[in-house]
Amino acid sequence: MNVLELKGLTKQFGGITAVNDVTFHVEEKQIFALIGPNGAGKTTAFNLISGVYVPTSGTVTFCGKVLNKMKPNRIVKEGIARTFQNIRLFGKMTALENVMTGFTCRTKADIFSIIFQMGKCKKEHDATEAKALEILDYIGLADLRDELAGSLPYGHQRLLEIARALACEPKLLMLDEPAAGMNKAEKQDLIELITKIRNDRGISVMLVEHDMDVIMSIADRIAVLNYGSLLAFGDKEEIQKDTAVIEAYLGNGD
Amino acid sequence: MSKAKTSSLIKLIIGAAVLVFLPLAIPNSYIMQLVLNILIYVILAMGLNLLTGFTGILSLGHAAFFGVGAYVSGILNTRLGWPFWATLIVSVVVTALISLFLAFPALRVKGTYLVLMTIGFGEVIRLLLVNWISLTNGPNGIVGISYPDFGFFKLTNMTQCYYLAVIFVVLLMIYLKVLMKSRVGRCLLAIRDDDRAAELVGIDVSQYKLKAFMISAAYCAIAGTLYAHVIRYISPDSFRADESQLILCCVIIGGIGTFKGPVIGAVLLTIIPELFRSLQDFRMVLYGVILMIVIIFFPGGVAKYWDLLAARVKNMVTGSKSKAGAADAKK
Repeated sequence: MNVLELKGLTKQFGGITAVNDVTFHVEEKQIFALIGPNGAGKTTAFNLISGVYVPTSGTVTFCGKVLNKMKPNRIVKEGIARTFQNIRLFGKMTALENVMTGFTCRTKADIFSIIFQMGKCKKEHDATEAKALEILDYIGLADLRDELAGSLPYGHQRLLEIARALACEPKLLMLDEPAAGMNKAEKQDLIELITKIRNDRGISVMLVEHDMDVIMSIADRIAVLNYGSLLAFGDKEEIQKDTAVIEAYLGNGD
Repeated sequence: MSKAKTSSLIKLIIGAAVLVFLPLAIPNSYIMQLVLNILIYVILAMGLNLLTGFTGILSLGHAAFFGVGAYVSGILNTRLGWPFWATLIVSVVVTALISLFLAFPALRVKGTYLVLMTIGFGEVIRLLLVNWISLTNGPNGIVGISYPDFGFFKLTNMTQCYYLAVIFVVLLMIYLKVLMKSRVGRCLLAIRDDDRAAELVGIDVSQYKLKAFMISAAYCAIAGTLYAHVIRYISPDSFRADESQLILCCVIIGGIGTFKGPVIGAVLLTIIPELFRSLQDFRMVLYGVILMIVIIFFPGGVAKYWDLLAARVKNMVTGSKSKAGAADAKK
């Protein structure tokens, strides 16, 4: 079954077409990589899927539902969670609180109920905290629960973003350059983590990544973007042999 | 009971005792009025702190909410004879709804532009208070508002008003603490830190910004209602732009985004100008200089240094040689 389907997706900013008529799909429990040279439109595609931008034309369908004009927070509720290329944690909140924010769209406590239904809200709060701790533990950051997110080392911040996204209880997890700035050992851990998330939780993972080692070791399928257009879409063996892709990355040798 | 719990319980008892017995130490009605002023400013500063300190929306127009709250109560009381509790409820609801006139456009702008918008909003409300004479009695203001009346119990003097104000301050502080520990509080803090990221972890940013505005305005309306019924005279002069600045100064000087800050700020900024009353026209000059000095030497607000001082004193009293307090103090 297809979790995510893009059909003829296009986004123009003024006269510039950042994403041009892109069509591909992500299947259930798949690890899917979106690659391409700098400025190819990968992050724009992410932003279109997660609702930051509204497509100029084309559709984004998630589990049979068209997402086109939904607000980003509604899309999270539908089941798409993401991380950011330049880490965007809530710096002055603790690691635990950061993860707890992820549960916002699955919980209910509100400005009046915290007074008039105190017991219920307390229960919900405790359950949220327990689940958030479980996720921190899963990702290996349980010891840092009370540290301010902004003061964590870079690698931990990247992991904490993934933890926060997992707290949204997504069906599709989108990672924007998760390996950026990581050393070899950290990359290996990341590869294991992503595979573990897919296997344990049955979540489909879509990632934008520049590191070919990471991509070739985990991606089931790959889509290649170049100048906003889809250059190739297929299994990694097909992509590795694709002459258009090689040309885009290395030039055509003339 | 754990040590931390015991010490916070002791603090609570001492605090309660001070608040209960304070009127006995107040020599005259002038000082009493000053204390009531402080309590009203504590509520205003708590309200603004929710919006500015915890949600990250800077407002220089909060005197408008204070004014609307006071005027709704004053008008309902003097024209229709409504008692305190009724004017309070209507005033809170009306002010929260009026805050949406600022909150909705505020969703679309950020930073300096938003600050300008809040200043504009404050001016519009002030001009309405001055010029809508048939409703507000214009620059002459409203006189003869009655002391708070609960039907079964009628307050008749300042001391009773003091206890009423204290009850409000305590309840509103408790609500603020419960709110900020809840799911809603986490959403507000997340919006403050990064509103785009907040949206993408599933937080309905617009909804929570509107709620923050409405609660913040409701706090100001409560302060306004207390002001109207306790001072018993209101005029547009009490709700000018410099009033908005004063509320913001309370928050910033005290410690933005902290629970203690607005309380400390309100106390300091009410007392300081009174201390220099003998200097007459020059007192505001000195006041301004003191503000600048505090900002320079207590970055982040007095509340932070209050905590450090408390830790030091505690170390001295208990004689423990734990270096934690000293190390903290050095930061």
